[in-house]
Amino acid sequence: MGYYLRKFTFYLTALWAAVTLNFVIPRMLPGNPVDILMAKLQQRGGTVDPAARHAYELLLGTNGHESIVQAYLAYLGNLLRGDLGVSVSAFPAKVSDVIATALPWTVVLVGVSTLLSFLLGIALGAVVGWKRGTWLDTLVPATTVLSAVPYFWLALILVAVLSSALGWFPLNGGYDVVLTPGWSGEFIGSAIYHAALPALTIVISSIGGWLLGMRNMMVSAMSEDYVLTARAKGLRDSRIMIRYAARNAVLPSVAGFAISLGFVVSGSIVTEQVFSYPGIGSKLLQAVQNNDYALMQGIFLVITIAVLGANLVVDLLYGLIDARTRDRSVMA
Amino acid sequence: MTNISPVTEPRSRRAFLPRWSPKLGVGLGLLGVLVLFALVGPLFTGDPSLIRDIGLTPPGGEHILGTTLTGQDILSQLAHATRGSLQIGLLVGIMATVLSAVFGIVGSYAGGVVDEAFSLFSNVMLVIPGLPLVIVITGFVPADQRGSWTVALVLAVTGWAAAARVLRAQTLSLRNRDYVAAARVSGERTWRVICVEILPNLLPILASQFVFAVILAVLSEAGLSFLGLGAANSSTLGTMLYYAQNGFALQRDAWWWFVPPGLIIALFGCGLSLVNFSIDEIINPRLRDSPRRTRDVRGTSTDTTPGEQDAVLTVRDLNVVYRSEKPVHAVKDVSLTLRRGEILGLAGESGCGKTTLAYAINRLHRPPAEVTSGSVVFHSPDGDNIDVLALPPEELRAFRWVRLSMVFQGAMNALNPVTPVRAQLADVLRTHRPEMSVPERAERCAEVLRLVGVDPKRLGSYPHELSGGMRQRVMIAMALLLDPQVMIMDEPTTALDVLVQREILTEIMRLRDELGFAVVFITHDLPLLLELCDRIAVMRAGEVVEYAAVEDMYRRPQHPYTRELLASFPSLTSERGMLIR
Repeated sequence: MGYYLRKFTFYLTALWAAVTLNFVIPRMLPGNPVDILMAKLQQRGGTVDPAARHAYELLLGTNGHESIVQAYLAYLGNLLRGDLGVSVSAFPAKVSDVIATALPWTVVLVGVSTLLSFLLGIALGAVVGWKRGTWLDTLVPATTVLSAVPYFWLALILVAVLSSALGWFPLNGGYDVVLTPGWSGEFIGSAIYHAALPALTIVISSIGGWLLGMRNMMVSAMSEDYVLTARAKGLRDSRIMIRYAARNAVLPSVAGFAISLGFVVSGSIVTEQVFSYPGIGSKLLQAVQNNDYALMQGIFLVITIAVLGANLVVDLLYGLIDARTRDRSVMA
Repeated sequence: MTNISPVTEPRSRRAFLPRWSPKLGVGLGLLGVLVLFALVGPLFTGDPSLIRDIGLTPPGGEHILGTTLTGQDILSQLAHATRGSLQIGLLVGIMATVLSAVFGIVGSYAGGVVDEAFSLFSNVMLVIPGLPLVIVITGFVPADQRGSWTVALVLAVTGWAAAARVLRAQTLSLRNRDYVAAARVSGERTWRVICVEILPNLLPILASQFVFAVILAVLSEAGLSFLGLGAANSSTLGTMLYYAQNGFALQRDAWWWFVPPGLIIALFGCGLSLVNFSIDEIINPRLRDSPRRTRDVRGTSTDTTPGEQDAVLTVRDLNVVYRSEKPVHAVKDVSLTLRRGEILGLAGESGCGKTTLAYAINRLHRPPAEVTSGSVVFHSPDGDNIDVLALPPEELRAFRWVRLSMVFQGAMNALNPVTPVRAQLADVLRTHRPEMSVPERAERCAEVLRLVGVDPKRLGSYPHELSGGMRQRVMIAMALLLDPQVMIMDEPTTALDVLVQREILTEIMRLRDELGFAVVFITHDLPLLLELCDRIAVMRAGEVVEYAAVEDMYRRPQHPYTRELLASFPSLTSERGMLIR
């Protein structure tokens, strides 16, 4: 029980840290976001009543009349009510609505392709480690090349070759624009077709890391005594590889999967920029380019919560696949 | 991540240097060329921003790599941009490594609240997604105030946490090492203990993390610049790509503008990764290139001659050699006969080749160990003679555990830590007795546990939940599952305390009497064998120096080494069988 309690406490702390960071950053950095925002709002015909201005000041700080503690508490209150303010770039839409429409695109694309890349990388890594000393060893430096290539560069070249030149995939977007979003078969088919190339680029650029990590752990696990015991027991090679070597070797990769989720979300921002994908990453960039601070902070918060939540799930899962962690009481 | 095997001992200076390998050579070569290009290139290639009216000239002629949309020379831009990217990479690498060292090493060394706080802080930093944070931070900093220092600082602040975690785990394990404890007890100052005793052992990891941080920084900087959030008025490979992309380089088929910057980043990353491979091999020596798969003698003499009367296992003139740089002849011309139901002791100090011999009998030895000659013949009760060394792989697999099972030294490591005892016992039955139903299997597993005096409820336990003695009993139960004729026990009681040792030995004797299997019992403890065995072979430097019945060996040891071994253990009484240990 202690294990789960500690995990929850940790993630609550992390969440609080992220929320606070979100509060502190605009107050620490140069520039006066509220004025820029107000000017933008006016340009777009928004009404700048004092109440709205006050709400933004709470969110972003700067020349507030209240003490920082009061502002902080009011900010937390707004967050709890789910009030993230109004987006400037998508005026008069609320920040929470903008995020709600963009989020599913990112979650599905990035979620599926990351999981795919992880599973493929683990499986390949296990085989490459098991067959160490054969030609498969050459895969190791080959995948390093892939992970050393800047992602967007590779993706753009693939777009130029596969989409522009060969016409196998659409150039960009999340779906065919003549269709109206909905749960129709045609729309879903179009969405899958548009997601194929972005997903492929994510898998290609991230699979190498998983493969290498798993391969190295596999090599270590194979010299463990329990693998020797399994061989002495006369088990079949496939069983020794999967149930004994890989089962143990995969543990650090699972732990690493949680940590990598942050990087994954980061990668998705670039992916969405390359493919003009209608997800949360392109919204974040749009917010930055338009000085839409409310949207910027809202998205950062949502991304953080998503990553923390996914981390928590992986951690709980880890407790299931490695009984030892549950019984350990000191490790954080 | 924890995929780093603990550094076991203080290293000699030489151990810090990576072994020379083609990978390291290629990596260093790539890095050398690129660094040279970044240092020297800008001096020779002219002004990178000079605009000419020869936009998008393909490579060749005056402009070796062609020109940009506005006629700027690409080679010259590339030289300056490489310099800019390497600078940022280096800056971030240094800052991130220092940060991770402070939070990882100092925290875990200090322990207590400081460690808790530092560790919590690094873990929180680790799970907060980096790039979105970087984007938010850079988004708040006006573009004109965003120099390469700002970008480097932001990348370092968001990129040190993973390394700190690895360093913490490593420092925690180093902290409890004897030589560190000794230094602390002798009153050395904290900073001295950290710098002299701990830091040198962390160097390979620090180096590896530094290299990784540099790669990540160069890639992240490129990503940021591509998003238009890079350092203002500085030229890096990322900004070059940004301009190429915004100039529609690919759409205009101007690949010479878009491809080279990415290629340089890729080559730089490759070079660093290749160097990192070599550093990883220092951290985890198991990763070193495996020796070529060796070939054992297979059926050189298809030995099916019946052994001595009543023999169940005959080993003849067995030789095992480790094919390392300096070959080691670990087992020399060993001949042994194991009779049905007898306990044969194999004694000798560590490194004498007794474990190698035991593994070779079941062909469990791994490269570089190789059986160079000799034979191992198993005489099955129905009169067949099985030449173990000549068995094809599938038949060898079917032979193992059915005819000959093993009990290994450290039961903690010999049991799979992540599956319950039940699965590890049932595995044997699933493979060798596929006709058994699930309830039958469960019943057999419970039965063998009862045989060794373990409550069948323990089937659901994981190895770490059992005591040392209990684990060893489970190992013995596992060895009993298929009623083998031979059981090889490699120091089965060494890691246990004396009382438990005694219990287990009594158990083994009782089971042998009940079930009638023969045992090869390996230990360095000769007096123990005197009490336990029927015959004993004493090994030294790979050779059997004396092989005799217990009575003879005890009364009339022939070889001086045997006498030496016997003398080194004071006997408590002169009567054999009364030795209480």
